[in-house]
Amino acid sequence: MNRRALLTSFAGVAVAGILTPELAQAVGQWSQAAASGIDWRLAFADLDADVAPAPMRLIAGRPPADLAGSLFRNGPGKFRRAGGSVDHWFDGDGLMRAFRIADGKARLAARFIDTPKRRADQAANAVVTQGFGTADRPGATASSSDDANAANISVMPVGGELWALWEAGSPTAIDPTDLSTKGMRTLRPDLAHMPFLAHPRAEPDGDIWSLGVAGRQAIVWRLGRDGALKSADVIALPRASYVHDFTATPRHLILILQPWIEGPSGDTYADRFSWRPADGTIILVLDKNDLSTRRVFEVPALFAFHYGAAWEEPDGTLRFDACASDNPDFATLGAREVLKGVFTPRASATLRLVSLSPGGAARIEPVGVVAEFPRADSRLAGSPRRYSVHATSDGGTPLFHGLATYDWKGARSDAFDFGPTHLMEEAVFVPRPGGAAELDGWLLAPSVNLTAKATELHVFDARRVAAGPLATWRADVALPVSLHGAFVSA
Amino acid sequence: MMPDPIHPPARAKSIARRLIAVLAAAACLAVVPAIAADPGGASLTVTFHGLSSGKGAVMVSLAADPAGFEGKAAPASQARIVVAGDTASATFTGLAPGAYAIRAFHDLVGDGKLKTNPFGIPTEPFAFSNNARGVMGPPSWPQAAFAIKAGANTQSINLD
Repeated sequence: MNRRALLTSFAGVAVAGILTPELAQAVGQWSQAAASGIDWRLAFADLDADVAPAPMRLIAGRPPADLAGSLFRNGPGKFRRAGGSVDHWFDGDGLMRAFRIADGKARLAARFIDTPKRRADQAANAVVTQGFGTADRPGATASSSDDANAANISVMPVGGELWALWEAGSPTAIDPTDLSTKGMRTLRPDLAHMPFLAHPRAEPDGDIWSLGVAGRQAIVWRLGRDGALKSADVIALPRASYVHDFTATPRHLILILQPWIEGPSGDTYADRFSWRPADGTIILVLDKNDLSTRRVFEVPALFAFHYGAAWEEPDGTLRFDACASDNPDFATLGAREVLKGVFTPRASATLRLVSLSPGGAARIEPVGVVAEFPRADSRLAGSPRRYSVHATSDGGTPLFHGLATYDWKGARSDAFDFGPTHLMEEAVFVPRPGGAAELDGWLLAPSVNLTAKATELHVFDARRVAAGPLATWRADVALPVSLHGAFVSA
Repeated sequence: MMPDPIHPPARAKSIARRLIAVLAAAACLAVVPAIAADPGGASLTVTFHGLSSGKGAVMVSLAADPAGFEGKAAPASQARIVVAGDTASATFTGLAPGAYAIRAFHDLVGDGKLKTNPFGIPTEPFAFSNNARGVMGPPSWPQAAFAIKAGANTQSINLD
C-alpha cells in the first residue's frame, strides 16, 4: 500500500481528530514495513499440530555456560477452523511451549493444552465455544466457565506442575516433562469453576496470591508455594471493572479498577464493557491479613493489562509500574484486527509509575517509553527495586519488536530494537547462579523472525540490553507469538 | 484473559439463576421412582450414566410441558435415585403419551440442593433429556423434549 492509499484509509481517524504526531509517525513506519514486504501475519498464523522436541540452531553469539533450565511459555496457538474461527487473539487454543537450555544448546517443543473448549471446537470443526471477544456459535455446549477455558494466557510453575492460566476459570495442570495435560485443578470442591487470574503474585519464598473477578465481586486466593489452598475470600468491589492483573507488596494487595466497566449486555464478554474515562480509575489497597481493611485512591482514567510488582517506600508510599494506554482500543479492536491481517496504528501502551502516598494522594508519572509485558527481577518482588523489564516498539507492526529495561533511578532506558522484521515476545529474567544484585543475570525472550519465518530465542545480558543478544537460537518452525512465560532453573 | 460461563461476571448470576430455577424443582421432590397414576399408560425408564463418584443421589424432574421444564410449574413427576454405582435408573409409569423433558442433577453430597460456587456457577453435575446442552444455561424445551409413546420408553442421559 502506498502512503497516499494508506493515509486515505485513515481519513476517518484524521477526521476524528486523533491523528497525533505519534500516530502519524506510526502510520509512516507502517508504510515502510508494508513497502518492505514484511508479513507480520505469520505471528498470528495457526499451528495445526504439536511440535515434537527438536534442537534449535545457534545462529549467533555464545550462550552463557551457566544458563540452564526451561523457559515455559503460553499463548494462543490456533485460531481458525473450517466452520468458524475465533474473532479475537486472546481466544485461540492454549499452546504450551518449552525452550530447554543446557550445555549451551537449546531445544524447543510445543503442545496444545487439552481443554474441554478445544475438544468441543475440534468435534464441531468450528470454534463454537465463546471466548473473551468471540461469541458462541450454534453447537456451543459450554455450561460453565471451565467449558470455555482456553488455558491460553500464562504459565505458573507450582508444586512440580505447570499451571496454564486463563482468567475466568480454573488453572489447568500440565506435566513439565512432556507438556501433557493433567487436568483442571479445583482448589476446593465448593470453588469449582471460580475465576483465577493469569497473573498471580508470588512472594519471594512466600505465598502465592491471585484474584478472580466477576462483576462487583472478587475472590482473593492465597496459596502456598506448593499450590495448596490456604484461603479463599470473596470481597465486594465498588465497580465492575475489567481486571486482568493486580499488584502487591509484602503487606498489601493493590487492585486497579479502571473505567472499562461491565454492563448487562454485549455480543461477547469484551463487548459488555464500556469505556468511561470521565469516571477515572479507582485503586484499592487491601491489607493481606485483613481484607476488610482498605484504602481507596483515585487517579485519572487509564487502561492497562499489566502492572509491575509493587513496593513500599520507607515513608509508606506505595509504588508500582504500569503499562497503560489512554483507552482499551487494543483489547476491543486491535486484538481482533490482527487475526484478520489488519494492522491499525494506534497509540501504544507506555510505561508509567504510580505512586500512592499515605496521605491519600495518588500520582501517575509517564516515562514516555512504549512498553508492555512488564517484568522485573522476581527475587525483588515486593521490595524496592530500580529496574523494570518490558517489550517495546517504535511502530510499524503490531505488538513489539524491541526489548528494554528502564532504570527508575537514572531515568534511563536500555533498549535493543530488532526492527520490524521481528515480533518480540515478553522477556523473562533469569538470575545468574551465585549472583544477587538486581538484574545480575539474563533476559530470555523469543521472537518471531518474519523474514526467516522461524521462532528464535534470544539471551541478553540483563544489564546490557542495548548491546544486543549474547546468543540467538533459531527453530525450524515459526510458532504463533506467545503471551507470558516462566523460567524453571535446571 | 475472559466468562459468560467464561467470564463469570455479571452474566454468571443470571445463568446460575436460570439453571437453578430449572433444576431446583428436581430437588423439591421426594422419593424414589415415580409412581403410577394410570396403570394402563406409558412407562419411561431413564438411565443415568457416568456417575463416576458412585455416591449421592440423582434428582430427576420429568416435565410434560415447557412451564414444568423451566421450573415455572409443577413437573409431571419427580424422583430421587440413590446412586450405588456408575449408572442409576428409575422407571416412571402411568404416563400419558406425549412430549416430555427431563432435568436432573447429581446431588453428590446428598443434601437435595444443587450446589454452586460463590459466583453462582453450579459445582454439581447436571444434565437434560436428549443429552441436550444449553450455553451458559439450560437448553430450551425443543432441545430437551422427546416423545413418550404407549408402552415402554427409555432415555439414556450422561450425567457426570
